Amino acid sequence: MSGSVVQEKVAKLLSRQNGKPVLRPIKPLALKNEVASRSLKKGEATCVTEMSLVMACWKLNDFNNSVCSKEVSAFYTCVEKAQNKAKGKQGTQGRLLPKEANTLLKRFPNLSSEI
Amino acid sequence: MAASVRHLLKPWTPSLCLVRWSRYNSYYLDPDPSKDARVPDSELSPEQKELQELKTVRRIKAALSSDTSSPFSDPLMSKFINMMMQDGSKILARGIMTQPREEIECSPHSVFQQALENCKPIIGLASVQKGGKSYQVPVPLTDNRRGFLAMKWMITECRDNKHRRTHMYEKLSQELLAAFANEGNVVKRKHDLHRMAEANRAYAHYRWW
Repeated sequence: MSGSVVQEKVAKLLSRQNGKPVLRPIKPLALKNEVASRSLKKGEATCVTEMSLVMACWKLNDFNNSVCSKEVSAFYTCVEKAQNKAKGKQGTQGRLLPKEANTLLKRFPNLSSEI
Repeated sequence: MAASVRHLLKPWTPSLCLVRWSRYNSYYLDPDPSKDARVPDSELSPEQKELQELKTVRRIKAALSSDTSSPFSDPLMSKFINMMMQDGSKILARGIMTQPREEIECSPHSVFQQALENCKPIIGLASVQKGGKSYQVPVPLTDNRRGFLAMKWMITECRDNKHRRTHMYEKLSQELLAAFANEGNVVKRKHDLHRMAEANRAYAHYRWW
């Protein structure tokens, strides 16, 4: 229903009847069968505090890992938690991820020309 | 709309039957050649029971010719042998690996594992581009990456920095013993990496993951 309205508007923009046309497209006005893969929220560096603790311990004890084992194990637990969080966050509900949208569009594309 | 459309992205199920491949879909499960795999049902937790049922139903990958059911097989050792192998001569690589076992008297298996543990770096460096300039940023490493780096350093050190006339197994045994005692060139290389990471700790916030 709204598709025909859009087509009429586009036809009006391209027509030369009312003076110069508003649009002079080089490529055909059709959507690509792909979505831009962005929507990256600006992430932060994870586990920086633990890393700084480990480095401080290293400086005091001349990079001896056996002495700094507590800080190192804390660092490892932090890294594991961050990795699990990053894995779990990927499937955001309510919105298709750009990867999923691209696979679906590849299977069911919008045909712009006759095959 | 997304929820109804997402069901089209169901996980892959097989239509054709592959006989033997080197790259499998994630539908295929890994083979488990160990003899202790068959534990009676009473001792299994519900998750493990599910796993056993899955193994009876799902397709399983073809086992490699290096998979054994013997208790002496060590996945770490196999990985190290594969990394040391050149031009596919597994027999030669295995021979080189078994000889330091004769040289190292007490418990060569645990010595090998402890030596590699001592060589594993904790923090690595990653190159991050910011403002047209690339910085070396300290970064936490995954376990796989750490093990790989330890083994790679060991092998390159044995190949390059030793006297030309010594055999590989001699060089390996010397380096493994030194790493076990937290000395030697490989541990020094690990410490150098840690020192560089410590020097660049100001750039740690350039990471976004």
